[in-house]
Amino acid sequence: MEDKFDRGSALTIFPSDRHEDLMALVLAFVIAALVYFLV
Amino acid sequence: MVYTKRTVWPLIIGIIMVGYAYLVQSGQMAPVIKLLGTSRYAGEMLTLGYAFGGVAVAAGLWHLIAAPRAGHADYYFSSIAGVMFIMLVAFVVKWGLDPLMANWGRDAQPTLGFNFASVMNLNYVVMGILAGIIVVNVFKVPAWAENGVRLSRLGLKTGVILLGALYSFAELAQLGKLSVLLIGVFVLGSVWLVLIIGAQRNLPNSMTGVLSAGVGVCGVSAAVAAAPVVQAKSLEIAYTIGTILLFGVLCMFLFPIVGKSLGMGYIQFGAWAGTGILNSAQVAGAALAFQPGGIETLKVAEIFNITRVLFLPIIVVWLAIWYVRREQAAQRQVQKVDAMQVVISKFPIFVLGFILMFLLSSTGIFAPARHYQGAYFDNSDKMLKRVDKRSGKEINNYLKDSDLATLTKELEKVKREDQRSALQRLIDDKKVVSEADDDTLRGVVNAKILSKEGNAILTRAHRAVRHTAQKIAMFRDLIAWFFTFGLVGLGMQITMSSIRQAGGQPLVIGSIVGVLKAIGSLIVVMLLVTETI
Repeated sequence: MEDKFDRGSALTIFPSDRHEDLMALVLAFVIAALVYFLV
Repeated sequence: MVYTKRTVWPLIIGIIMVGYAYLVQSGQMAPVIKLLGTSRYAGEMLTLGYAFGGVAVAAGLWHLIAAPRAGHADYYFSSIAGVMFIMLVAFVVKWGLDPLMANWGRDAQPTLGFNFASVMNLNYVVMGILAGIIVVNVFKVPAWAENGVRLSRLGLKTGVILLGALYSFAELAQLGKLSVLLIGVFVLGSVWLVLIIGAQRNLPNSMTGVLSAGVGVCGVSAAVAAAPVVQAKSLEIAYTIGTILLFGVLCMFLFPIVGKSLGMGYIQFGAWAGTGILNSAQVAGAALAFQPGGIETLKVAEIFNITRVLFLPIIVVWLAIWYVRREQAAQRQVQKVDAMQVVISKFPIFVLGFILMFLLSSTGIFAPARHYQGAYFDNSDKMLKRVDKRSGKEINNYLKDSDLATLTKELEKVKREDQRSALQRLIDDKKVVSEADDDTLRGVVNAKILSKEGNAILTRAHRAVRHTAQKIAMFRDLIAWFFTFGLVGLGMQITMSSIRQAGGQPLVIGSIVGVLKAIGSLIVVMLLVTETI
């Protein structure tokens, strides 16, 4: 699969694991905020 | 490179999702839902059908109309179609195949003598991963969806962080102690064992080092993190990843079958999966496959998995020292690597996100901090006497005079002093006064000391002070969907070519240590872990 993408890796669209972790962190806390305010 | 492919498929997926939600809403799917017994999913069929269908329609129009040039917009927007593709597979499996297979399993039981769906553990998690594996290896993931499939690991990591909101201090303290003990023994033990066997079989130190981290700690990410300190070559990392994947996928399907046949409870299985399975994603897969209808097993397994990840810095430093000593003993030149720098740059910070979410949840913003699995005790006036938000009617959950008269009349029947005192306090205050009293009075109900009417009053009093946190319930549903998305997508990344990378000595050593770890942790868990936590 590696050759199909010129960005990220075969497993992720992000440049590194650290970027993916940070994005997961942001996404999770945005969802937590939505649950807090809307539910 | 342009990632947005001109295709009509995302639009078709969107129309299917919205159409399905509309059919459910209009009641036309009612006979099918009744036949499959999926009425409990009707709410999410509507919400998710419309929400994801709407996004898929918008993404479909983007794929048809837009003519993007290579850049961020093309790169990131094109990933939405793949997410929708995974979600469609997840919907078909969860709302269609899973209940269908359960029905067939039950129907075939008189003929076969056993329920094949239950014995082979064919639930939506297992079938979702299998569907992903079949899609990628038999049909190929469509080119327009390939970019989005690479978001599945993000889904798993987000699910792990959100999971932090569901633990209470008491649960984490008890599970934490147990997990540090078990993980400490098995992680350090398996790393040590790989190092010993690798040395005996004259494997290169770099190969042995990277394999020990992969087999001992948390699979692929540990192997990648440890690679720089042992100066592993790409081929050695590939061997390790192949071994971990092959072993992890087998474990993911076999562990739940073994767990069920041994009659393991949620905590026992979660502890075993979190300790014995090599790769983080497969730990989540096995836990959800064992208990597809809830996430109690997943919660236990993830605590063990996170404890394992927290051992990563220790292992990296250990391997750095071990590697330098071995190479120097062999009188070879060693390129100096800063182990601490590797630890800082490679440490998976989503684990810190999990801890942050737990701390945030511990402040009581989603449910009182003392909640257990989303349920909590509150006998304050504002909970017992309030106006119902939906109907606008006033709810008064204090015991009525007629209830008090019944209980007073039956007080004589209660002989145990603690139970009698708790009942007297209930009569005096017209409500359950403490959590301890609530537990004591549940004992009175279970022992059937009072009349049917008396027991009904006690049950009503119990329900008046026990509440379910709506926010925690929402977190549970979201987490289950994030993991479902991540695992179906993970299946689409398990290609035969990546598994074929395993081979030779690394596969032999990895398998020996992996099997020893799985069997050893099973024995220890069965002996030490009870369901009382």
